Order: sequence, then structure tokens, then C-alpha cells
Amino acid sequence: MANAQYELLRGLEEADVDRVLALGSRISLSGGDELFPLGAHADYLYLVSHGQISLTLPMKVREQETDVQVEERTAWQTVGWSALIPPHRFTLRATATVGTEVVALSRDSLEKYFTTHPEVGYKVSLNLAAVIGQRLQLFQAMWLREVARMVEHRAA
Amino acid sequence: MEMLLMGICISVFGMGIACAAFGAAVRPTQSLPERKPEPVKAVAPERFFVSEVTVPTSVGRVSIPIEALLAQLERHVRLEQAAAESFLAEPTSALLHSKTISPFLN
Repeated sequence: MANAQYELLRGLEEADVDRVLALGSRISLSGGDELFPLGAHADYLYLVSHGQISLTLPMKVREQETDVQVEERTAWQTVGWSALIPPHRFTLRATATVGTEVVALSRDSLEKYFTTHPEVGYKVSLNLAAVIGQRLQLFQAMWLREVARMVEHRAA
Repeated sequence: MEMLLMGICISVFGMGIACAAFGAAVRPTQSLPERKPEPVKAVAPERFFVSEVTVPTSVGRVSIPIEALLAQLERHVRLEQAAAESFLAEPTSALLHSKTISPFLN
């Protein structure tokens, strides 16, 4: 029943949840391990079972390039939805900040399963849209806050 | 000969009067007040391409170690995300532009 808590699998029958999870493989990461680098081909989508994944982007600070965390993903959340969205390249770097376990689902196996089980594919697609939409709205609001401050600064 | 000498004397006298008149015409009528040289202002340091990042503190602007700067940056992002999430939970203009306690903004 706990498996139904994965945000990507919400609304699915328990049997469907188990079948989708059976398509994947579990990966254990230690703190500091990289799940995927920025720009890599995104062939796998990951569901966080437990632990924490840090999503970072490179930023130049004092002539030194460093990874700055822009988002955190914890248990039941989804990482790497670029695997299902063209052009299938990761736009962030993902690393585990603590001991973490994820379920890796390949794009190929998911697409094949959704072809034979379109009702599951539909619900997963809606859940995926919610994940992407939440990211979009969040960063849209953050961007607008930054622009407002820039305008205020320039006008002062 | 006497006539010649008299002509020369008159010419020299006339020349003297003309020079005096010219000098009086071009000389300023009042002497200008003495002006003290203005002190040269120190040139402000260039601020566009500073090599050291600074953050405001209660006692002024000071450089901080890069580790501390990155920690502040991470905190800033977390606070901005929390503020943005508050806006998404209840979209109002006040929440969209709510202030945070980020050291980068205070």
C-alpha cells in the first residue's frame, strides 16, 4: 500500500503500482553519490523510495565553478522526468545527500507498458504533468520575484 | 634740421600716448578675486567587476569565506522556494512579493 504514495503512481490500482515498479530496478546510493550528471542522456526516470536527492546547477562564484542546489527531492517524489520528455537530456545534476534508494524505470519499458495499458499511461501522464507543472509554477514565481527586485534596485 | 627734430619728438610723444591709451583699454578694470584651488576628490573604487563578493552586515560590507557564501546562497534559494510555494498555495500579489530573511536581501 505504501508504494501507492509515489507521486508518479497516484490514482493507480495497487496491482498496477506493483506491475510498474516491477519494471524497474532498485539503486542504493550513499551520501555524495551522483545519480546523473547535467546534460547526460535521460534514459531512466527515478522514484525516490527513501533518502534525499539534491538537484543542482553549476554557478560561477569568485571565479570558481560550483554546484548550487536549486531543488531537493525526498521520499515518494520523482527525479529525472526528462526521461519521458524530449529531448531526453538531464537539465540538472542529481546527487544523493544522504543514504538514498531509488527505483530506476527505463523509458523503453515504461513506453511499452503504457502502450499495452493505456489507462495506466494516462494516469501516469497526468501525474507527470503535475510534477512538471509544479516545477514550472515554482520557478516562474521565483523568477518574477527576482525581476521585481531588479526593477526596484534599478529604480532606486 | 630743427623741423625734423621737432617732428621726431612729436612722433615719439604721440607714440607714447597711443601706447598708454592702448594699455588702459586692455587692462581689466577690477582685479579678479583670488581663487583657492579646489581639493581634488578621491576617485571612487570601481564596483562593477569586484573580485571579492561582499555581503552587508550590521557594521558594513565585509568579505566572507566561499564556504559561508555558498551556505548563504543555498539558504537564499530555500527561502525563495518557500516564498514561491506560499504563493502557489494561495496566489496573491502580497505573497508573490513577500520578503524573506535572506542575507542577500537584507
